[in-house]
Amino acid sequence: MKPLLCLVALLVSLAGPAAGQDEEAAPKLTLEVVPQDVELDVFDQLQLEVRVLDESGAEVDVDKVDGVRLVYFSRDREIADFSPPGVITAKGPGEGTVVVRAAGLGGPGASVKIAVRVAFPPLDRIEIRDVPEVLYTGTRASVSAMLVDKAGLERAEVPVQMALGSSGAATVDSLGHLTGVAAGRCELFAEVEGLRAQAAFEVVENPIRRIELTAPTERAQTGDVLQFEAIGRDEAGKPVEGVPIHFSFEAHPDDTLGQAATGQVEQDGRFVAEAPGVYTVVASSGGATARASVRAEPRDVQREVEFIGHGEVLDVHTSDLWVWEGVDKRDYAVTGTWGADGDALFWDVTDPADIQRIANVRVDARTVNDVKVSADGRICVLSREGASNRKNGIVILDVVDPRNPKILSTFTDELTGGVHNLFIYEDHVYALSAARRYDIINIEDPAQPYRVGSFELETPNHSIHDVWVENGIAYSSNWRDGVVMVDVGGGGMGGSPSNPVQMGSYAYPSGWNHAAFPYRDPETDKFYIVAGDEAFPFGLYTSERPTYPRGWIHFIDFSDRENPEEVARYQVPEAGTHNLWIEDDLLYVGYYNGGLRVVDISGDLLGDLYRQGREVGWFLPTHHEGKVPNAPMTWGPQPHKGHIFFSDWNSGLWSVRLKPEVEE
Amino acid sequence: MTRAGALALAASVVSIGTFGTLAAGEASALRPTTAQLATPAPAAAEDEELDYLVYVAAESTDEVYKVRFDGEKATVDKVIPVGYQPTEIEGPHGMTVSPDGRHWFLSMAHGKPFGLLYKFDTETDELVGQVELGLFPATMQISRTTGLLYCVNFDLHGDMTPSSVSIVDPDAMVEVARTTTGAMPHGSRVSPDGLRHYSCSMMSGELFELDAASFEVRRTLKLDEAPEGGHGDSKRHGEDRGGGKHRSSKPTWVHPHPSEPLAYVCLNGADQVAEVDLTTWTVRRRFQTGHGPYNVEITPDGAKLVVSYKASGEVGIWDVERGVELARIRSSRRVTHGVAISPDGRYGFVSNEGIGGESGTVDVFDLRKDELVATAEVGLQAGGITFWRTETRD
Repeated sequence: MKPLLCLVALLVSLAGPAAGQDEEAAPKLTLEVVPQDVELDVFDQLQLEVRVLDESGAEVDVDKVDGVRLVYFSRDREIADFSPPGVITAKGPGEGTVVVRAAGLGGPGASVKIAVRVAFPPLDRIEIRDVPEVLYTGTRASVSAMLVDKAGLERAEVPVQMALGSSGAATVDSLGHLTGVAAGRCELFAEVEGLRAQAAFEVVENPIRRIELTAPTERAQTGDVLQFEAIGRDEAGKPVEGVPIHFSFEAHPDDTLGQAATGQVEQDGRFVAEAPGVYTVVASSGGATARASVRAEPRDVQREVEFIGHGEVLDVHTSDLWVWEGVDKRDYAVTGTWGADGDALFWDVTDPADIQRIANVRVDARTVNDVKVSADGRICVLSREGASNRKNGIVILDVVDPRNPKILSTFTDELTGGVHNLFIYEDHVYALSAARRYDIINIEDPAQPYRVGSFELETPNHSIHDVWVENGIAYSSNWRDGVVMVDVGGGGMGGSPSNPVQMGSYAYPSGWNHAAFPYRDPETDKFYIVAGDEAFPFGLYTSERPTYPRGWIHFIDFSDRENPEEVARYQVPEAGTHNLWIEDDLLYVGYYNGGLRVVDISGDLLGDLYRQGREVGWFLPTHHEGKVPNAPMTWGPQPHKGHIFFSDWNSGLWSVRLKPEVEE
Repeated sequence: MTRAGALALAASVVSIGTFGTLAAGEASALRPTTAQLATPAPAAAEDEELDYLVYVAAESTDEVYKVRFDGEKATVDKVIPVGYQPTEIEGPHGMTVSPDGRHWFLSMAHGKPFGLLYKFDTETDELVGQVELGLFPATMQISRTTGLLYCVNFDLHGDMTPSSVSIVDPDAMVEVARTTTGAMPHGSRVSPDGLRHYSCSMMSGELFELDAASFEVRRTLKLDEAPEGGHGDSKRHGEDRGGGKHRSSKPTWVHPHPSEPLAYVCLNGADQVAEVDLTTWTVRRRFQTGHGPYNVEITPDGAKLVVSYKASGEVGIWDVERGVELARIRSSRRVTHGVAISPDGRYGFVSNEGIGGESGTVDVFDLRKDELVATAEVGLQAGGITFWRTETRD
C-alpha cells in the first residue's frame, strides 16, 4: 500500500446530502472520514475511519443509536469496492469514487465521497510485433510495438516509438511501415518508460527484375471483381516466389466532373471499378513495375420497378409479411401489425393487382411482429409482444382455408418476455425468447406444441434479434454478437433441433446486426451470410413525421467457416436497412425510408455494391393517408411468382414487379 | 392555468408518520425521535383548488404520460416517448419520483437482453441518465434515508430461478449492489424510516426484507398457504412453478404502513391482501379481495387501502382498521394495474392496461366519497404509476 495522500479528517455536513433527497426537517448528522484520498495497488485493502456526529458535535455510536446506519457503496466497483463494509478493496487499475453515507433519523444523510486511485500494475515489457524475418528491398512491411504491464494488460495508451539501427538497410516511419533499402542486417528498437526491446531482420536484395501483369479482360462492367495476375521474374526470367508485389491503380473515369474515388484494389490483385472509365492497375516490387488496363463499362442492370397493387393498411403500422401458395393453389399473404391491437391480416394476392383482405385474426398482443407460414401452406405462426397477461409467446393457426384461419394452440412457456421473431422449418418453430435465445418447438401436432431444444450464446450480455433456417442450419442475428450459424440437422456437426450445435459466427463493430440470409453464389461457389443492420440514430417517429434510419447490408464470405471475412457492402446513403430476401442472384431489401431495393449480387463481390451500379431497381411506397403520410418505411420484401411483395410500416402490403429488360 | 409550486411530492416516496405504536422488542430498531420525524405532506386547505399530477407508463407503446387531475377532469398534459429500440416494445414498467421531486425514474423491462433504469428531469422531462440493471427491471423506490434506489429485477423469462434487487445510486446512476431474493420479485417498497426494503417474489411466494444500508436480506416470510398435507415452509425458491397441489399466493406487491409496523401484501393468486406484522414477522390478517389483487397503496394517514383487482378490472377501497372493504368499483378498463395516492390522501390514481388495442387509462378515485370521479385515456398497457406533485390553481 502506498502512503495515504491525505490523512486530514474530512468534515462533511448536510451541505452535501445525496441529490434526490429533500432536506425538510431532517436532523443534521455530520461525518468524519479518514482518509479523503486513497491510493492503492490492485488487491490492497484499506480500513476507513468513520465517525458520525450529531448536531451538538457528539459522536453517534451507530451500533447503539436507533435508526442510524452507515451505508458504504462504490460508484466504480470494477476499480474499488467495500468488502467488508468500511474496508476499501482495490479491484482494478483506474480512478474511482466510493461513498460513505450516514443514513437514518428519517432524513437524508451526510455523504462523503472518497477518491480512490488504484495504480496500474508496473510496466513489464515492450513487444515488437509482426517483424518479418526477411524484408526485400523495395518492399514494405508493417510492424507495431506494444507496451505490456505485469498483469499482462496491453497499455495502448502509452505510445511506443520505434527506430532502426545505423545499418541503413531499411527505413521505418511513425506508422510502423518498414521499407527495405539495401541488403544487410537491421536492428529495430523500441523504447519507453525505461523499457527497451529490439528485434532483428534481414534485408535481402529483391530478385525481381520485371513483372508480368495480366488483366483478366480488357472490358468489364462496374462491379465485376477482376483478378489481376502478377508474376515477378528474376534476371534470368525465372518466376520468383515469396516476394511481395504491391498493387495500386490509376483511374480515368468517363465522368471527370468532380468524380470521387472510383475503384478498389486488394493486395491479392483483385480490382473492382465503381464508375465507368479506364483503369490501370499497377504492380510493383523493388524497382520493377508493370501496368495493365481495363475499361469498365456501365453495369447497366437497372430496371424499372412497376407498381402492381396495394393492400392498404393506413390506420395501424404494418410489420412483417409472408406470401405463400395455399393448399387450394391460390396465393395468399399474411401481415402483422405493430403497436396496435394484436391483429394479423390475411390477404388473397392471387391477382397481385387486386390484393384483397380476406380475414383478420386478433390475438392478445400489441404487436404481432412476425408472421410465418409452413412450407406446405397449412400452418401459420404469429409472434406476440405486449400481451395483456404478459405471457406473449406464439399463436399457431390452421390456414388451410386462409379465409377462415383457426387458432389451434398457443405456446407461452418460457416465451413470456415476448417473441419478436420466429421461423418455421420442418415441423419446428424457432422462436426468440426475450431477446436472449431461441427456443425450438415441435409442432408436428400443432395443437400440442412442445419445446425440444434451445440455443443461447454464452457471450456477456448477449442478445438476439432474428433467426432464419435453411438446409438444416439456423442463421441468427445477434446485434453485438453478429451472425451465428447453428447446426440444427444439416450442418454436419451432429446438430438437431434438440441438440443445436454452433458452427461459426462473425460480428462487426457497429453492433447493429438485425437480419441474416444465407446465399451461395453459383458462379464462384462462394458462400455468404448477407447481414442487415437496423439503427435509428435520429429516433423513430410513430406518427406525424418521417423517420430516417441508417445501416447497410454486409456481405460476409463464410466459404471458410473458420475464417469469415466481410468483403462487400450495399449501402444506400442516408437510409437504413431492415429485412432482406435473396432469390437467384437478386437481393431484395426492405430499406426503410429508402423503400424497396433490388440488387444484383451475381459473381464475386468486393467493395460497395451501391457505388458499383449493382442496384437493379427501387420503389418508394407512399400514401397520403398512411400511418405516417407520404413516408416510405419498407419493412420486408418477398419475391413470389414473378412479383415482389413487401410490407411497409406506414401503408400496408404492396406488390410490384421488375419490368422486363428491353433488348436494344 | 396553474401556478407551479409543489405543495407535496410523490406520496409514495415521502416518509411520514411515526413508529409510535411499535411493540417493545422492536421499538429500539425502528423508532426515530420526535424531532427526527419527517413532516407529513401538507394537506390542502379546504378551499384551495389543486391540480394533481401523476406520471404513468404505457408499457406497450413505450411512452410515459403526464396526467393532470383538476378535481373534475383528468387530462393528459404531455406524452414522453421513451426507449432506444424504436421498433421493439421495450416495456416501460416501474416509475418513481425522487424525494426532492427533481427527477422521475423509469424501468424499461426489455433490453438486449437486460433492462434499463432511466432518469428524467421533472421540469423538462428530458432523459438525464441511465444504467443497465437485470432482466426485466420493474418496480422501484428511493429511500430518502439512504438516498439509494431499490429496483426489483422481475425476470419473468425462462426458468423461475431466484432473481434480485438492484441497488442504484440515483445521483451517479450506477448500480452499487445486487442482492438475490426470490423468483419474479415485484413490488419494491421502502419502510417509512428508509432503512428496510420490502419486495415480494411472485413465483416463490415470499416476502423479503432487505437491510437498506447493508443490502443484505434480513428476513424472508413464506406467504403461500400450506399444501394439503402441509409442508408449506419447507420449499425452496421456484418449486411451486407449474401448479400441482400447492396453492400459490403469487404475491405481487407490498406496501408498508406509514406509521405502524405493518405491511400489506397483495396475494394475487389467493385473492387476498395479507397484513403482515413486521414485529412478529407473521401474517396478522387476511383481507378477502376481488379477483387478482395486484397493487396496493395506503393513504398517508393509514386509514384506507386502495387495491387494484387486476383480474376482475375493479378497484377495492378498504378500511384498514376494521378490515372492511368500503367500496368495490368497476374500473374504466378490464385490467387494472398500479396505484398511487396523493399526499393529502384525497385521491387515488389507478392505471388500467386495457386489452389489445384498447387504450390504457388512469382512473381517479375520490377517497372521501370512495367513488370513481374521472378518467384519462393514455397509451397501451398503462402500468407503472407514480404521484409527482400538486399545483395550486390561480
